[in-house]
Amino acid sequence: MMLTLLALVIWLGAWALNHRLSRLNAPWVATVAPIIFGVTLLLMWELLVRGLNVSGVILPPPSAIWVSFMRNLPTLWQDLVQTVFKGALSGYVIGVIAAFVVALLADRFAFLRRGLLPVGGFLSALPIVGTAPIFVMWFGFGWQSKAAVVVAMVFFPLLVNIVAGLRDTTVQQRDLMTTYAAGYWQVLLKLRLPAAMPFIFNGLKISTTLALIGAIVAEFFGSPTQGLGFRIDASRGRLALDVVWSAIVMSAIAGSLFYGLVALVERAVTFWHPSQRK
Amino acid sequence: MIKNILLAGAALGAIAAPAMAQDALTLQLKWVTQAQFAGYYVALEKGFYEAENLDVTILPGGPDVAPPQALAGGAADIMTDWVPSALAVREGGLPVVNIAQPFASSGLMLTCWKDAGFTGPQDFKGHTIGVWFGGNEYPFLNWMSAEGISVDGGEDGVTILRQGFNVDPLLQRQADCISTMTYNEYGQVLEAGVSPDELTNFVFEDLGVATLEDGLWVLEDRLSDEAFVDSLVRFVRASMEGWKYAEANPEEAAAIVLEFDETGAQTEAHQVFMMSEIAKLTAGSNGALDPAAFDRTVEMLMQPGSDPVITAVPEGAWTHVITDAALN
Repeated sequence: MMLTLLALVIWLGAWALNHRLSRLNAPWVATVAPIIFGVTLLLMWELLVRGLNVSGVILPPPSAIWVSFMRNLPTLWQDLVQTVFKGALSGYVIGVIAAFVVALLADRFAFLRRGLLPVGGFLSALPIVGTAPIFVMWFGFGWQSKAAVVVAMVFFPLLVNIVAGLRDTTVQQRDLMTTYAAGYWQVLLKLRLPAAMPFIFNGLKISTTLALIGAIVAEFFGSPTQGLGFRIDASRGRLALDVVWSAIVMSAIAGSLFYGLVALVERAVTFWHPSQRK
Repeated sequence: MIKNILLAGAALGAIAAPAMAQDALTLQLKWVTQAQFAGYYVALEKGFYEAENLDVTILPGGPDVAPPQALAGGAADIMTDWVPSALAVREGGLPVVNIAQPFASSGLMLTCWKDAGFTGPQDFKGHTIGVWFGGNEYPFLNWMSAEGISVDGGEDGVTILRQGFNVDPLLQRQADCISTMTYNEYGQVLEAGVSPDELTNFVFEDLGVATLEDGLWVLEDRLSDEAFVDSLVRFVRASMEGWKYAEANPEEAAAIVLEFDETGAQTEAHQVFMMSEIAKLTAGSNGALDPAAFDRTVEMLMQPGSDPVITAVPEGAWTHVITDAALN
């Protein structure tokens, strides 16, 4: 009871504090406010779970998850290598290359654009729980089948974005290039690809999280005894919910870093775009 | 119009009234609706539960259902679970207690291609073997640790492949052996056109490494509630009646199971096969847990190895209170 009350008090206090801070016009508020919010959330979680005596097999407190995370770090690292580096990243790279090639072809030849895009849309509509077992059957239990699932998941968002990006130049711009006697490749490399970059990075960013989800879910349908998806599923069965949450934390960290990395590259490449200007 | 509604209301009331007096119990199954759980469906369909004044709801399980979680969350009163996974959960902090054990023996096997030439577990070294996880991995892992075989792959160990819920890894030779149940996956392998002559089975029961399966479990603290214990006694009595009926009438039991299978995924032939195999496993049990078999299971689980399932002999993990009252 005391802990539950304490949780409410902390919540109200932190709310009031953030409210006050948001009125200040200091630049550091933008950093501090979300931190306060996050810490409040964790504190309330901890106190409520303990105060209301919630069983650890329903929702473990963050402290238990942290202890389990640190204890299982070597295992989780192996899982991360298996899932992220072998499954998700390889699938991501293959998917990006495939989407680029197909997008350039679709851009060059109108009949491909009209014919391929619907097929791409169809591919993207395939539910992952349906394709994953089939890919496991085709490509085996290793990372290859996970990469295949990832390719199927990231291909379409990338394709659509790249095709849309390549068409994002005006007739005047292209005419200007023509008056300079620029050929197809010159127009592509010097005008259209740079102009497409904001679109392309949009697709790349969406695909980072899709890739991770695909690799993890695919492991539910057969895997070696490693990987974040394997860990989540196997630990859930024996009710080691702290391990399940540790694996979730690990995937969340990996996913955020992956997304952040692509966002950083985007900032460097498309510094000229209005959305990146400070 | 109003008269009709009133009449309908009265009719509903007439149906609902006796149901109100019954004690409601919810049973969480370990797996999907199939003849593995025929006893409970038969007891429901044949009115054995009703005769004991029980209103029983049966929740099917599946790959995404962990029965202990249903108990912990209050979604179910009773679960069926294998003894190894239930004891692991118990040691993990959810005190579950075995109240009855309708299955006397284990149906777990390793089914291997004969041409892989395995005569015993030592031959598994350097090969890939399919194992189920989610609590079902313990019997195999313990067996390997008892044999001193590493499960981390390589030349001197076995490579474990996390098996999905079909027999494809064997059929496609992604693994030389896969885990099968006598009553389910083994039948699927045969249905896929493989002849029994092409296979070697390692039956856990015959090898002396079997662990008890499919017991009935409840949360320990609820056993202090006398009304609940009383309804459990009636539940176990009616369930065992259901099991014995299913054993004696496999085809009728299979038909009842099919009726309850809302997914429509099961076939009649497979369910009849499953029921006849299940009957062999329940045949030796009157529902009361055999303490010697339980102790053997605990001994298996505590094998000195890389990763014992449980580290201490569980105290009070089973009780005869319910079965004593139900069966006498």
